[in-house]
Amino acid sequence: MGSPCHFALFGLQPDFRVDLAQLAARYRELAKAVHPDRFAHASEREQRLALEQSAQLNEAYQTLRSAPRRALYLLSLSGEALPLEATVQDPEFLLQQMHWREELEELQDSADLDGVAAFKQRLKGAQNELDERFAECWNDPARREEAERLVRRMQFLDKLAHEVRILEERLDD
Amino acid sequence: MALLQIAEPGQSPKPHQRRLAVGIDLGTTNSLVAAVRSGLAEPLPDAEGRVILPSAVRYHADRVEVGQAAKAAAASDPLNTVLSVKRLMGRGVEDVSHLGEHLPYRFVEGESHMPFIQTVQGPKSPVEVSAEILRVLRERAEATLGGELVGAVITVPAYFDDAQRQATKDAARLAGLNVLRLLNEPTAAAVAYGLDQQAEGVVAIYDLGGGTFDISILRLTRGVFEVLATGGDSALGGDDFDHAVAAWIIDQAGLSRDLDPAAQRQLLQAACAAKEALTNADSVEVVHGDWRGTLSRDIFDALIEPMLARSLKACRRAVRDAGIELEEVEAVVMVGGSTRVPRVREAVGELFGRTPLTDIDPDQVVAIGAAIQADTLAGNKRGAGDELLLLDVIPLSLGLETMGGLMEKIIPRNTTIPVARAQDFTTYKDGQTAMMIHVLQGERELVSDCRSLARFELRGIPPMVAGAAKIRVTFQVDADGLLSVSARELSSGVEASIQVKPSYGLTDGEIARMLQDSFQHAGGDKAARALREQQVEAQRLLEAVQSALDADGERLLGEDERLAILAAMDELRALAAGEDAHAIERQIKRLTQITDAFAARRMDASIKAALAGRRLNELEE
Repeated sequence: MGSPCHFALFGLQPDFRVDLAQLAARYRELAKAVHPDRFAHASEREQRLALEQSAQLNEAYQTLRSAPRRALYLLSLSGEALPLEATVQDPEFLLQQMHWREELEELQDSADLDGVAAFKQRLKGAQNELDERFAECWNDPARREEAERLVRRMQFLDKLAHEVRILEERLDD
Repeated sequence: MALLQIAEPGQSPKPHQRRLAVGIDLGTTNSLVAAVRSGLAEPLPDAEGRVILPSAVRYHADRVEVGQAAKAAAASDPLNTVLSVKRLMGRGVEDVSHLGEHLPYRFVEGESHMPFIQTVQGPKSPVEVSAEILRVLRERAEATLGGELVGAVITVPAYFDDAQRQATKDAARLAGLNVLRLLNEPTAAAVAYGLDQQAEGVVAIYDLGGGTFDISILRLTRGVFEVLATGGDSALGGDDFDHAVAAWIIDQAGLSRDLDPAAQRQLLQAACAAKEALTNADSVEVVHGDWRGTLSRDIFDALIEPMLARSLKACRRAVRDAGIELEEVEAVVMVGGSTRVPRVREAVGELFGRTPLTDIDPDQVVAIGAAIQADTLAGNKRGAGDELLLLDVIPLSLGLETMGGLMEKIIPRNTTIPVARAQDFTTYKDGQTAMMIHVLQGERELVSDCRSLARFELRGIPPMVAGAAKIRVTFQVDADGLLSVSARELSSGVEASIQVKPSYGLTDGEIARMLQDSFQHAGGDKAARALREQQVEAQRLLEAVQSALDADGERLLGEDERLAILAAMDELRALAAGEDAHAIERQIKRLTQITDAFAARRMDASIKAALAGRRLNELEE
């Protein structure tokens, strides 16, 4: 059998809305129980188990604390796993993507740090809005297509946020 | 030498007896060993009362000298005296020439790509040189604590890559140390500070040592030390300040840059002395040969500015990686001798907008934190409720080479360890039956800009059309930050895996030879050593199983299971009292197998208990 459900590991019901502070607290309790440091003096077999359990716990935690990864995971629980790079049938968002990217390129050329900060702010707002919309529809089988579209948008914005970080690093030289 | 303690057969040592474990800070310039004694972590002094051991090793024809005396001979016997060997750990011959300095050694290449230093005792690898330092510290600890060590926690710069970590672990093995854990230096410092001051919240540890720089951002919550991000430069430290001052002297004195090794060492010593004097003075007289000049603090500050700027940039990146703002950092802790430089303290204070903490001696804080962790890992329980847990991260992304010479990241930097992650790849040619797995570490996109950790081949893939085979590559990083990689073709189950033996590490043959040498050196013979190792291993396992039985035997085992385990334990105990190393080894395997299911049940139970405890607390709240 595969690994147990990430949510169950934390004693939670699968849901998109997660109390992150509570998740972090439970993560720390569980990590205390299974971390290899707890078994530094135990048998080799127990050390290996601790390593596997800890790795699994860390993976579950990383998945659940990130909104796009949590969303993707929820959809994989209730159906086919989403192909990573599907052709995006989402012309409206495609257009928006182009705008975001153009703007980011301009910021890079002008090395405008305040502009980057404002961009980040707007990006965060867009991410929150997507999260809200996903929370509304993910559990409704009739709205599966909409949920999948939203996850792809979330993934794109996540990638964009990463690019902003790289840009900040470049501008820091 | 202290006598080994052996308990009567069938009796485990008294439960209240402390297991001896130490923390070792194996530094570029200085090394220390510390231990928890009567509840207090402190560095252990040598016979003369000195706690700091200069990381200097001098080879004579018939003996090896480590520490102060070796350091003093650096200028008179430069070819046989190795300083700052940490900078060479886990590096290849070509890396060494890129360190940005002239090293006064004659390098020769070994079987592996590691640079060996030619000495009067023949070629020595950086691993062997480091092992000499560790051996002296081990002997000091055993003499002071009065017994054999259960193990040691050895600290490494957080920014050390896999090859540098593996090299450190190999050195410990050569020195006869059981490594309980490789611990990142800033994390160790955080433990020393956090426990001392009962700190909570986000802290930054700025660690500038002799040869390495680390910045770590941690969140401290009720005894849990969670590293949010780490960064740094494994070739930036106080040594570079010395080199900058030395270059200034050369310019000022109109000297040739082509100095012989002895003159170079003298020059560096003068530079280092000037740097240290400037900690408390505004200017210092520098004398080198016939030349005499004045180095002011302003000039010195200007000389180190580029290096300081590099370190501050790494700080800003680590804060971004942690996903926080600079203002959220509630405390900044200074670690490493180079943080005594006033300009360093000032610049770090400006960046974080608060005065850095320097309460604990920056040279000792890492060893003290390591000692606390060693004590915990050795099984010496601290008070209930204040359990300590360190959650560390990998400093550099790990990945694979894909088509077109690109690096595909499998585990991004700052991922919490331990971690296991798999990714599927496929073939690109029809009928392809083998695949080269090239393991890389680094942040850049091009393979040529990343560090090559290892290469291995997966063979015997059934011939299929291009893109049909599915090869799953799994990366696993353990709590020491060490990587192992396995690859499997999913339809046929063909498998290949390696414990990543870094390209710049020692080959197994080299390690075997060095171990052999060290036995001869110690005057022991190999068979006796092997027997002793099995006996220690048997003892360790017996104690582990006994404590598991005491805790959960009644609850989680059926009567038959319990009796079977007890019988296997008795047999192992009897064998361990004899002299057949192979028989002991076989019985260790048997006992391990028999306790397999018990171990799994215990793990499940402890997860359930952790969750249940949590819920209970929440109800109370």
